[in-house]
Amino acid sequence: MSNGKKVLLVDDDRDLVDILTLVLEGAAYEVRRAYDGPEALATIERERPDLVILDVMMPEATEGFHVVWNLRRREEPYFRSVPIIMLTAIHRATPLRFYPDAGDGTYGAGEYLDVQGFVDKPVEPDALLKEMERVLAAARGP
Amino acid sequence: MVDPQIPESPRALPATEVLIGRIRWLVRLRWVAVAGSLLFIDLAGRFLPIRLEEPPLLIVLALLASYNLGAELLLARLRRDALARGNGDRGPEQVGRLAHLLLPKTPPGIEYYDRQAAQAAVLASVQIALDLCFLAGLLHFAGGVENPLWVFLVFHVIVASILLSTPATYGVATFGLVLMAVVALGESTGVLPHHSLEGYWLPGLYRDHALVGAQVFLLGVTLFTAAYLATSIAGRLRRREIDVVVLVHHLEKKAEHLEEAFQDVQAAERAKSHYMRKVAHELRVPLGTIKTALNVALRVAPGSMPQQTTDLIHRAERRAGELAEMTRELLSLSLAKRGEAVQEPVPVQLGEVAQAVMEEMDARAVDSGVALSKRIPETLPRISGSPEELADLLRNLVGNAIRYTPSGGSVELRMDVEGDEVMVEVEDTGIGIGEADLPRVFDEFYRSFQARQLVPGGSGLGLPIVKAVVERHGGRIVLESREGKGTCAKVWLPAH
Repeated sequence: MSNGKKVLLVDDDRDLVDILTLVLEGAAYEVRRAYDGPEALATIERERPDLVILDVMMPEATEGFHVVWNLRRREEPYFRSVPIIMLTAIHRATPLRFYPDAGDGTYGAGEYLDVQGFVDKPVEPDALLKEMERVLAAARGP
Repeated sequence: MVDPQIPESPRALPATEVLIGRIRWLVRLRWVAVAGSLLFIDLAGRFLPIRLEEPPLLIVLALLASYNLGAELLLARLRRDALARGNGDRGPEQVGRLAHLLLPKTPPGIEYYDRQAAQAAVLASVQIALDLCFLAGLLHFAGGVENPLWVFLVFHVIVASILLSTPATYGVATFGLVLMAVVALGESTGVLPHHSLEGYWLPGLYRDHALVGAQVFLLGVTLFTAAYLATSIAGRLRRREIDVVVLVHHLEKKAEHLEEAFQDVQAAERAKSHYMRKVAHELRVPLGTIKTALNVALRVAPGSMPQQTTDLIHRAERRAGELAEMTRELLSLSLAKRGEAVQEPVPVQLGEVAQAVMEEMDARAVDSGVALSKRIPETLPRISGSPEELADLLRNLVGNAIRYTPSGGSVELRMDVEGDEVMVEVEDTGIGIGEADLPRVFDEFYRSFQARQLVPGGSGLGLPIVKAVVERHGGRIVLESREGKGTCAKVWLPAH
């Protein structure tokens, strides 16, 4: 049973990946898994998922960000447009800047990493599913 | 407790300069002596019943004046050399043994390292010796032993005590005494001609050996007493000077130690903060996973588990959530308390940050039955800082207000410009903070009695985070509260 959407889950916490796989498969998504940045990139190239759910991969590394930057710098439109949801609460807890330059030198609220959604950790399954639906709907576009 | 090994800071110049300054003073004094002598000779001729042989006296004074001119020139050269030495910063030169004998003891650390000091010492000693000779010459032509002004030798002894070492001062006293003895004995034995101070002593009395001997003896006593008194006073003053130098050094050392201790404390604080951050990170990940796992378990539970089990899982999930929240706050706090300024501050439109935070908080306010409102002007000056931390600040203030306001109450966020600051105000109609608790609510982990009553779980880290963020942004915070009426938190942040 699949709703046709292929989702890649990336987190270095294997337990969490397993748990979320249960949730996503319960919601009829087709789930792929990866546990670090390089594996994630390889899987994205191979599987071309419709959505990537990406952990920032704390504590020290920001491997998740590098995955985003790596993808968005590529030529092929797919890599630049595949929707990404970041699993993190660090946009509140760390000084890493998630706020875009609004064009006038002002930083306001918003995401400056080119990702389409955020889900706070600890992950609430409902919140994740809701955010996934939102992002996928937006990706289908007008 | 004073370290006797005082630093070898090459402060050679001041000691030399002090010495040269004192020699200048001596040279000036000599001009006064020349002028005073001329005036005295003139006045004595007019008003005293004595007869002075003016021509030889004037010749001696003329010689004294020209010698003083020479001294001026030598001194000027010495000063120039000393200054050049000071600027040139060559390595220390040890002064010779002679100079060491002549110069007064210096405070430790202030040494006469350079050749100019030795030259100055010799110059001073030679001058004092010459001065004695000139005084002896003047007195020889003005009555010899009859002249009461032999006592002026005391002045030279005092000058010597100021400029030179204690042995050198006694040397000066001895030399003065020898000079008078030579003059007095020479005149009384006829080896030297006697220029009588007519009208002061009885004629011929200068040949009375007993009387002359008594005069010389009295002068000796006077000179050595003067030497003793002057050197003890000068010595005492110098010891005080040494004490001051040692004390200053001691204080400098103390200040250094304090500075080091302060750095250590700061380093310890940073290490603690780093440790806290590390622990919070490590705790957060598994806690989050536990919470999510329990949450998922509850989703699949209906029907498959007894009610009792789901209740237990519910509780576990809630407590895991509290723990996760607490580690998040610990992380925030440790980040905000790193004790450094905000890295890469950017101009932040606080109104927009507030907008986002208010949207986040909306659901919580609705759940708690609290009316959430805001009054933010269209345009606000920007703040230079970290948008994430400022969002955290607002989130904590508004979150606290909602948490501690019972259902039916209200929370309002207001912003305004006050001078060159942006004022942020969060006012609630909540339970308030007791007067006794108010000063302590910024303490980490502290929770007021009322807060614990209303909300049992809670980290007590919200306000410390707020305070740390405010401080990192160069702002200030004031908390006003009335128990049972509500709380108003006011923050001022400097505009960009």
